[in-house]
Amino acid sequence: MIESEFAQIAIKLVLLALVSLLIPASYRVIVGATLPDRLQAVDLITTLLIGIIVMLALVEGTQVFVDMAIALAAFAFVGTISIARYISEGRAF
Amino acid sequence: MLLELLGVIALFFGLFFCGVGVLGVIRMPDALTRLHASGKVATLGLFGLLVGAALLMPAASLRILALGLFVLLTSPVATHAIAASVYRRQEILEELFEMRDEQVDVTAVDVSGILSRSLIQDIIEAQQRTSRPSEGEPTARDT
Repeated sequence: MIESEFAQIAIKLVLLALVSLLIPASYRVIVGATLPDRLQAVDLITTLLIGIIVMLALVEGTQVFVDMAIALAAFAFVGTISIARYISEGRAF
Repeated sequence: MLLELLGVIALFFGLFFCGVGVLGVIRMPDALTRLHASGKVATLGLFGLLVGAALLMPAASLRILALGLFVLLTSPVATHAIAASVYRRQEILEELFEMRDEQVDVTAVDVSGILSRSLIQDIIEAQQRTSRPSEGEPTARDT
């Protein structure tokens, strides 16, 4: 657990900024002109979510959240690869 | 205290690159340059955040190291796959441009549905405008 007040406030500020970055990133998912653009924006959003989960682990002081971030990274990788293969080859696997 | 100061500096470094990457994804003109911007979030942005987290919470540094190694392995592969799909879409467009005189079926060339619906509508309308009567069956070439 982090003691100093300064670090606590800084962590909460970074967490707030990362969550507010999700809104402009989802703009590209909605507007994105083509299918690869949307896929790329969803990949960006999952990367931001990994950062948010790590920040949440710092705020709560629990290490288990980092394991959740590892699981999210693994599933996001499989999903992105299969959708990209579907786009470029016409089949996922 | 010094460790916490360094950690907070690393956190803000990562946050800066996350902001720059998201700004680039919104503002860049085409898909490949946007991909360049979003690659910065996956490497510099997330790595700054992870280094800051490891400095602020040293007990969890082993798990954070595992997460960092995993992201370092997987994120370039995912970016490369997305770039390949963008390239494939441009290939389909060039193929359609070369076959613009033949009345090809657009949906037969675009097997995986990469082209957007409005673009397909535009191509079909352009074909109907330039179509000549008694040309025979339209040839649908499979990719």
